[in-house]
Amino acid sequence: MTPVLSYDELAVLIKARAGIQVDPMDLERPGASFDEFGIDSLGLLGVVGELENRHGVQIPADAVTHKTPADFVAAVNSAVKAGA
Amino acid sequence: MTGRTAVLTGMGVVAPNGIGADDFWKATREGRSVLAPIDREGCDRYPVRVAGLVRGFDAASFVEERYLVQTDRFTHFAMAAAGLALDEAGLTVDDPFGIGVVTAAGSGGGAFGQRELQELWSRGPHHVGPYQSIAWFYAASTGQISIRGGFKGPCGVVASDEAGGLDALAHAARAIRRGTEAVVAGAAEAPIAPYSMVCQLGYPGLSTEERPERAYLPFAPDAPGFVPAEGGAMFVVESESAARARGARIRAQLAGHAATFTGAARWAESRAGLAHAVRGALAEARCAPDEIDVVFADALGVPEADRAEALALADALGDHSARVPVTAPKAGVGRAHCGAPVLDVAAAVLALENGLVPPTPNVTTSDLGLDLVTGFARSAELRTALVLSRGLMGSNAALVLRRTP
Repeated sequence: MTPVLSYDELAVLIKARAGIQVDPMDLERPGASFDEFGIDSLGLLGVVGELENRHGVQIPADAVTHKTPADFVAAVNSAVKAGA
Repeated sequence: MTGRTAVLTGMGVVAPNGIGADDFWKATREGRSVLAPIDREGCDRYPVRVAGLVRGFDAASFVEERYLVQTDRFTHFAMAAAGLALDEAGLTVDDPFGIGVVTAAGSGGGAFGQRELQELWSRGPHHVGPYQSIAWFYAASTGQISIRGGFKGPCGVVASDEAGGLDALAHAARAIRRGTEAVVAGAAEAPIAPYSMVCQLGYPGLSTEERPERAYLPFAPDAPGFVPAEGGAMFVVESESAARARGARIRAQLAGHAATFTGAARWAESRAGLAHAVRGALAEARCAPDEIDVVFADALGVPEADRAEALALADALGDHSARVPVTAPKAGVGRAHCGAPVLDVAAAVLALENGLVPPTPNVTTSDLGLDLVTGFARSAELRTALVLSRGLMGSNAALVLRRTP
């Protein structure tokens, strides 16, 4: 099935909520970590809040502890799928 | 003197009359007043009608967006000013633990906080962003300057009222004396926002005069109170020996400081408090009263407070108080809380360098026995400057600055 959160959307949300410009291709690169882009947990918390508002779901608080975009996207999509 | 004398090697200014020290000094020495009707959205229906507003400030040209989304305008000002000061100082970070940051704050991030609280009440808690937890807070500017520069030395925030701007520089000088290599220090405020405006409305000294050229007339017999403002200045403070060793341009020495507290709005009592602070600052600077070449006055613009300041100068400087040029450039820009005294420090440094006492804008007469410089800047041989500041809640501070050979 189509994932709800794509890397394109994640890049847009990171730019809007954390003020950091990042290429979706870089987010998707295997081994990429939020650290290397300067995205901290407060920045991710803003992204999570925006996703919750957009999709009307609850995303587990530990989503912001994921160190890599891949883990974060997987956690968000499973939460959205479960909540849908 | 010992090798741990604190000196200023960089200066960044964001003021209603100019962004950057050059523009600020040009407007200041010309005595240009930029006080204007408050036309900012949500701020134009209060009894306070005139302020000093920073215009044309493009935060993104000074600070990366990742910091801008996390911070209020007061931190944007502080980060921009700190960046300008650091660029000028040419400081390199060899040991991150050797560089600290200290700012003073009295207003905080009112606009950011209000925006988030409006989200809370209109759309609910899920629409409040996480940066609300840090952006409104007094400590935000110190923290963000530290993070941006990678400065891991002693960091702090001085919350001691408007005079805290001077206390922040003294705090930095103490850190230098204890061995820290450099401290980024100063203050910037952004209180011209609806919530922050409302917080100020209870101050009896606030001017409700609608004509900008009549709204803030310190030391004049008919002074109607003071005008609020936004902006501030940041400095790089380092030890004189370290600055000389790396060939940095030394702009002035922080020679002495003292602070006292005499209670909220007790202007008559501020006379003794201010005089005591001046004596303490002179003693620390090993400076005789008649060595003071220019005074940058607190200049509240409330007749009782102005009288107390004139008497304090007479108490502390004796006969010299009637001869020394006294000026209040802030009459043309307003009082930016903790930003006000540090803008005076910036003006004092530039005055020392240029041998020019800038005038007190808009004021034409004073009968308090002071040699108040009005109209045009006055040429003078300037070696030592005294900067005074008082807060509405009772803080008094004095700072002695000395030109270095």
